Amino acid sequence: MRLYKKEGNTVQILSFPNDNVEKGDYLLIEDPRVNKKLITQVIDVQFANVPGLLEELLRDSTTEQFVYGEIFDPLEVSSHMNYIQDAWMLLCKIRGTIENEQLGVNVSWLPSRSKSGVKKFPISSLLTHMRDNGNLPINIGETKEAFRFTINAHDLDGKLNIVTGKKGTGKSHLSKLLVLGLIDYGAKVVVLDLNGEYTNLCFSSKGEKNEYHDRVHVLTPGVNLKVSLAQMDLKVMLNILVHALNLPGTSTREFRRIWQSLQQRRVFTLQELGEAIRNWKCNQHVRDALFSRYYSLLNSGFFTDNVAKAMAFEEFFEEIRKGGALILNLRDVSSVDRQIVVEYTLGKLMDLLNQWKIRAVFLFAEEAHLYLRETYWDDIVTRMRHFGVFTTFVTNQPDTIRENIYRQADNIFLFNFTNERDLETVSRAARVDSETVKSIAQDLPPHHCLILGKAVKDFPMVAKVKALDVQTMGHTRLFFTDTN
Amino acid sequence: MTFNQPATENFEDATPVLGTHGSFTIESIPLKPLLGDTPVAAVDISSIRIGETETGMLCAIRGAIVWKEKGRYKYLRLGPFPFHITEENKKEIYNLFRHHYFEASEDASAPSLINMQTRMGNLLERWLQLGISCSAHDSIILWDGSLTAGTADSPVKVISQLLEIARNRLNTVLAFSKTTNLRLLGHRLTDLAEKSKPPCLLQISGFPLPSGPVFSLGNVYVAKLTPGICSFRLDIDKKVPRERVIEAVQKLLGSDFLIQSYPETLRLAHIFSTFTATEVIGIQRCIAQQYGLKIIARPNVRRLLFGPFGKDFEG
Repeated sequence: MRLYKKEGNTVQILSFPNDNVEKGDYLLIEDPRVNKKLITQVIDVQFANVPGLLEELLRDSTTEQFVYGEIFDPLEVSSHMNYIQDAWMLLCKIRGTIENEQLGVNVSWLPSRSKSGVKKFPISSLLTHMRDNGNLPINIGETKEAFRFTINAHDLDGKLNIVTGKKGTGKSHLSKLLVLGLIDYGAKVVVLDLNGEYTNLCFSSKGEKNEYHDRVHVLTPGVNLKVSLAQMDLKVMLNILVHALNLPGTSTREFRRIWQSLQQRRVFTLQELGEAIRNWKCNQHVRDALFSRYYSLLNSGFFTDNVAKAMAFEEFFEEIRKGGALILNLRDVSSVDRQIVVEYTLGKLMDLLNQWKIRAVFLFAEEAHLYLRETYWDDIVTRMRHFGVFTTFVTNQPDTIRENIYRQADNIFLFNFTNERDLETVSRAARVDSETVKSIAQDLPPHHCLILGKAVKDFPMVAKVKALDVQTMGHTRLFFTDTN
Repeated sequence: MTFNQPATENFEDATPVLGTHGSFTIESIPLKPLLGDTPVAAVDISSIRIGETETGMLCAIRGAIVWKEKGRYKYLRLGPFPFHITEENKKEIYNLFRHHYFEASEDASAPSLINMQTRMGNLLERWLQLGISCSAHDSIILWDGSLTAGTADSPVKVISQLLEIARNRLNTVLAFSKTTNLRLLGHRLTDLAEKSKPPCLLQISGFPLPSGPVFSLGNVYVAKLTPGICSFRLDIDKKVPRERVIEAVQKLLGSDFLIQSYPETLRLAHIFSTFTATEVIGIQRCIAQQYGLKIIARPNVRRLLFGPFGKDFEG
């Protein structure tokens, strides 16, 4: 391999197929005169613009269909010609330097074109140079060179993460790995599980209880997740009414008065609330509006007057005090009820964090746009983060996540996308140039992930996500079954 | 024969320029394609300079034979054959070629180093032509160039022998020249066919015969075989009767594709023998690897002296 050209932070390197270089690989350009090395990453592999190639191809295409023949080439010169024809031009981005064996970002020098040597730089070597002292490794899978690939749990702590990729590429699989990895180090995790994919994390692929059985708790709204009105805070209830049930302003004001009257009477039951609305002196339209929302709350099955059945989040967190996950199973929950549950959960989380009843929580939100109200997006990346809610968004529709979320994301775990619009959206991430995202993500095979951000010290890396011995439940139910 | 780089010594340069004095006649011979499946074979070679060493030059030659038989084109490419020619070995290489190709027993003096590439190409071409003449029967053999003889690499004896072998096996040699210096009354010979209706041959009779050692063993025609702007000088063996000449060209019309009056078989032979830039790099790489040569760019003296005004390629 030879250094050919540099423009901005892009270098072009001449290579040949037997160099076996792929997109995402790291190359080291070593200039022996200055004892410095430039770390570059291949973002695209193109054919080298070899002079005379068009004539070659034209000649070959002429012969393919109509002309047959032999070549007498005793010196086997043709193999060298073919070799030249197959020359590659590697488009690489400069990621950093190694100077006196120290990793740096000073790329203000230019290596010699004639003297520099170019060689592959295995990710394992790069990781060694990073000298990451992280003592909380989460095993993600392996590098291309079959080297164990880990990220540090510290790099998820206090961070905003995005896991995205098209359907069937392995996003949820990685999220589960991260969830279990965090649990291993005693973290508290809440998963907003839209499709019930995480509900069997506590079982092995053979259906037996696994090591996480006591640490993963599935909460299904209306089944084992019910709350009483007494557990509700007025602010949370108003959030539910306004944001989930679209209660107008006038009706909200009346509801606040009703709630305060119940508070004074210390009677917080659904029945009493219904009676209060019925007997409240107010405009009939307001009453109708309140009643319709009241019945929505009633029919959600999420609220109960039976104190014995009502569960407190504090208790759930107590159960996982040494680390564990609360899986909020939102499968088969209607859109409105989903929003009610999420409003309650996030409100309660903030409440618990405010009171320092829990230190911090890692929130995994699958397809958050389906249940998260508009104002929460900004809250999550600003206010809630400071209180200790560290969110990981998991989605196959990257355009449902706002641009500012991408810009502020600390880590992005990117799986394959072929749609240019999707790639365009993700490429807005501030942690890497858009060319890298677009070029590498487009060719990622299934279960391979491009990791960007702090978890990889801003050296984008491709990893093959390891298999997980849990019932992942992420498979789509099929009509046609394999008869073999 | 094709030269990827300008050659200083080739057939066209050796072709005599005909005088404009004397009486001559131009006869247009209309042609009708004789449909059939007459085998058509063509030969072409290319030579190219690969580089220089401290002691000599590196060049490569390649030949191609293309033949059309039963509606299909087939080819045989020979080479490329790279050579390192020095003042010390040039005579040995040259005579090795001559002895092998011409079956000549006596040694000849080798040309200057700069002409060796052309000479070796010519020798290979003659050898391939001999091979085709000996193996084909009742066929049309297409040569690239003229039937001029009397030069060092095209001795009269050799060319005569080639044509005789071809005639004896009922083959007809048609030699197409892509360019010609022949002029009549100041006009380029091929321009005479501008207003002729294709397909036709223009036969020019009464040419003043050139004197000296270099002369043509063929009759000179202008061939305009298809509509279009191109027509070519066509040399056909003088010893072939006129009827067979016309019949041969008509068989060519009926058996081969012609684009801009040029036979496809010969076009393919040219394409298969020509070197591309990629191939030159490939040959350089092959030589460098096998013989441990290091390739360095020679300073361009013109560029050094004249900067942006030194535009000519430093050969």
